[in-house]
Amino acid sequence: MYTPARPNRRALLRAALATGSAAALSACGAAGTAALTSGNVTLALWTHDPGYEAFFQKGIPEADRLTDFRYHLKVTRAGAADVVTKLLAQAVAGRGTPDLVGFEIGSFPRMLRGDIAERLLYDLTDDIAAVPGLKEDLLPARTAPFSQGGRVYALDSDTPMVVYFYRDDLFDRYRLPKDTVTWEEFAELGARVHRDHGASMCVVSTIGSDVGQVVQSFQMLLYQRGGAFFDADQNLVLDSPEAEEVLRFLCDGLRTGFVIDVSDYYGAAMQTALKQGKVIGLPMAIWYKNYGLVPNVPEQKGRWRVKALPRFAAGGAVTAAAGGTGFGVIKDKANTRAAKDFLFNTWLTHEGQVRRFTETGYLPTRRSVYDDPRLSAARDDFCGGQRLFPLYRELLPQVPPFHQSPDQSILYDVLAGNLLRAYHGDLSPRQALKQTAADFRDQAGR
Amino acid sequence: MTTAVAGPNRAARDSDRAGATDPVRRRRHSWAPYLFISPFYLLYALFMLVPVAVSLWLSLTEWVGLGTPHWVGLRNYRLLATDISFHRALGNTAVFVLVAVCVVVPLALLIAQALNTRGLRVRDLWRTAYFVPVVVSPILVALIFGLVFDRQFGLANSVLRALFGTGGVDWLGDPSLAKVSIALVMLWRWTGYLTVFFLAGLQNVPRELYESAALDGAGRLRTFTTVTLPALKPVTAFVIVTSFIGAAQIFEEPYLLTGGGPAESTLSVTMFIYRAAFQRQQFGYAAAAAVVLFVLVFGLSQLVNRLLGIGRAS
Repeated sequence: MYTPARPNRRALLRAALATGSAAALSACGAAGTAALTSGNVTLALWTHDPGYEAFFQKGIPEADRLTDFRYHLKVTRAGAADVVTKLLAQAVAGRGTPDLVGFEIGSFPRMLRGDIAERLLYDLTDDIAAVPGLKEDLLPARTAPFSQGGRVYALDSDTPMVVYFYRDDLFDRYRLPKDTVTWEEFAELGARVHRDHGASMCVVSTIGSDVGQVVQSFQMLLYQRGGAFFDADQNLVLDSPEAEEVLRFLCDGLRTGFVIDVSDYYGAAMQTALKQGKVIGLPMAIWYKNYGLVPNVPEQKGRWRVKALPRFAAGGAVTAAAGGTGFGVIKDKANTRAAKDFLFNTWLTHEGQVRRFTETGYLPTRRSVYDDPRLSAARDDFCGGQRLFPLYRELLPQVPPFHQSPDQSILYDVLAGNLLRAYHGDLSPRQALKQTAADFRDQAGR
Repeated sequence: MTTAVAGPNRAARDSDRAGATDPVRRRRHSWAPYLFISPFYLLYALFMLVPVAVSLWLSLTEWVGLGTPHWVGLRNYRLLATDISFHRALGNTAVFVLVAVCVVVPLALLIAQALNTRGLRVRDLWRTAYFVPVVVSPILVALIFGLVFDRQFGLANSVLRALFGTGGVDWLGDPSLAKVSIALVMLWRWTGYLTVFFLAGLQNVPRELYESAALDGAGRLRTFTTVTLPALKPVTAFVIVTSFIGAAQIFEEPYLLTGGGPAESTLSVTMFIYRAAFQRQQFGYAAAAAVVLFVLVFGLSQLVNRLLGIGRAS
């Protein structure tokens, strides 16, 4: 009869080592991807903004009611750029990626480089089409920034229209009309106000460490005028007569004092300018009230108002869009379906979009929600009880699309430098734009 | 008695002899020292050699940060050779290196000399005051100097306005002045740190040398150039080389204060690498720039080592 030999100590150690190695290797491998279809699920959510965390947490009961899942959220917060960096690092590692990610609009172009978006993000296009009426209801202007090749990879948090914020009390004191039709008339009034009172009615950012801000000052008016950075095919279309007109307008405004250059829209310089009454109005996206005005000058509550931008005499629209955050779902994970269902049943429902506006101030991305009477009735205390929503509804049809390119960061780098040189008078607007286009072509091909 | 004493010794001798003749045991003995020092080399290989080798390989590819890198040979290096942006970054970095070596180091030496003066009151307070900037968080430094250099509402311009009636200097917005501003921050931040090294060196200069110089009738300047400087040569060489390497890899000051702008006038090579990798997803290109920086820093620091005679007997 065969009797197996008793394993000696060395054999046992070897076996333990082999078992340990196998366990470690299997742990290093990709996580299981058997898709969850119902029941308890904990979604890993990454975002840069605590407002979104609160929104999604409060949306859990609604999502639980509308889906087969029972949701829990594990939220990780990081800087907007760090979210993308960390996501890519985890994707390379093959583990530890989140289920749901918020991409700040300026960071999303990194996902458009090569096939990163296609490899990593769940394509939401077919799911949008599968919900009756949703595709037509979603604003194309807000799906464009998070799309590539006609596929939608993230859903925007906002329709960040650009409006004109102004100090109602100071406009009265300086006898400024509030229904000025064109920017050109506005600039004349602004020059007079600066000469008489040392105040400015428009702002450009010159903070070197944040090229996004420098570019945004120009971008808002450029898109309003009908210009753009990139077309739908991601080609650079910046070098246009509209761009030159807008840049000249800003440069002239800086000479007359109608425009003031402030180093940072959100920091101490802007706070000082606002407190001292050196800035009595500025064009900005609607979210600036919550992120710029309220934190910097809470004591000015009730003195601010919002109105539509003046038009450019030569054409264009009455608004533009600036900012946004798209939420996307990571593909091929066990929680992918659960995450997609959660996003659709919090972010895109009528109630969810109403709640998003009332809780965070972000405007709906579905047209139909703009007819909700609860939104029209909402009054804004900081703006002296003004009902803002009727204005937003009026501006909605004119929100232009904003197309992004993987080379957007290159454009921002070269454009910011040339904008500052134009503001200083070192380059003419024409030269600045030509130089930007040339620098971009030189760097984008690498 | 004799047997009792000789027994163990003999056994040990027999054992040694057996060890010397048994190839297995001999091999085991010869491996032992290497096993003891192996953790360092393993970690060194894992965290130093492997990343360097991977960077080198990556520099020969095109990679967006996900998926498979595509082999492009020396294309990234050829593109770098014609990239105006990279040339600007090299030029800016050279300026920062010159500031570090030609301004910060001499100033640190002068301050150390001042702090080493006999009879100086509250010496520790001065030392601490000069050293504090280096332990302040770079984020805070950027915040403070952002406020100081603000064109409209900054402290620097307010002082200029108060003193001279003019203060519209665009410290961070003008390409030339932005470099000056970064240099000033470097000066503020690193001078005190280097002063500590010089101070340690000065305290080791034998006092008899100063007494001899005084007896020979040497003045202060003469004593400084003929006694202090030669005695400080090893410390100076160390400080120059470390300042050179540190400035060649400068990142925090320009990144936080100017973002490399305006118009790339403060873009350093490390910022160029960061920008290519983490803003533009051009990891191959970034790796090529990193390899170029490594070769330049390594080559030039070797040259400086030779010039200053570091590691050679005096």
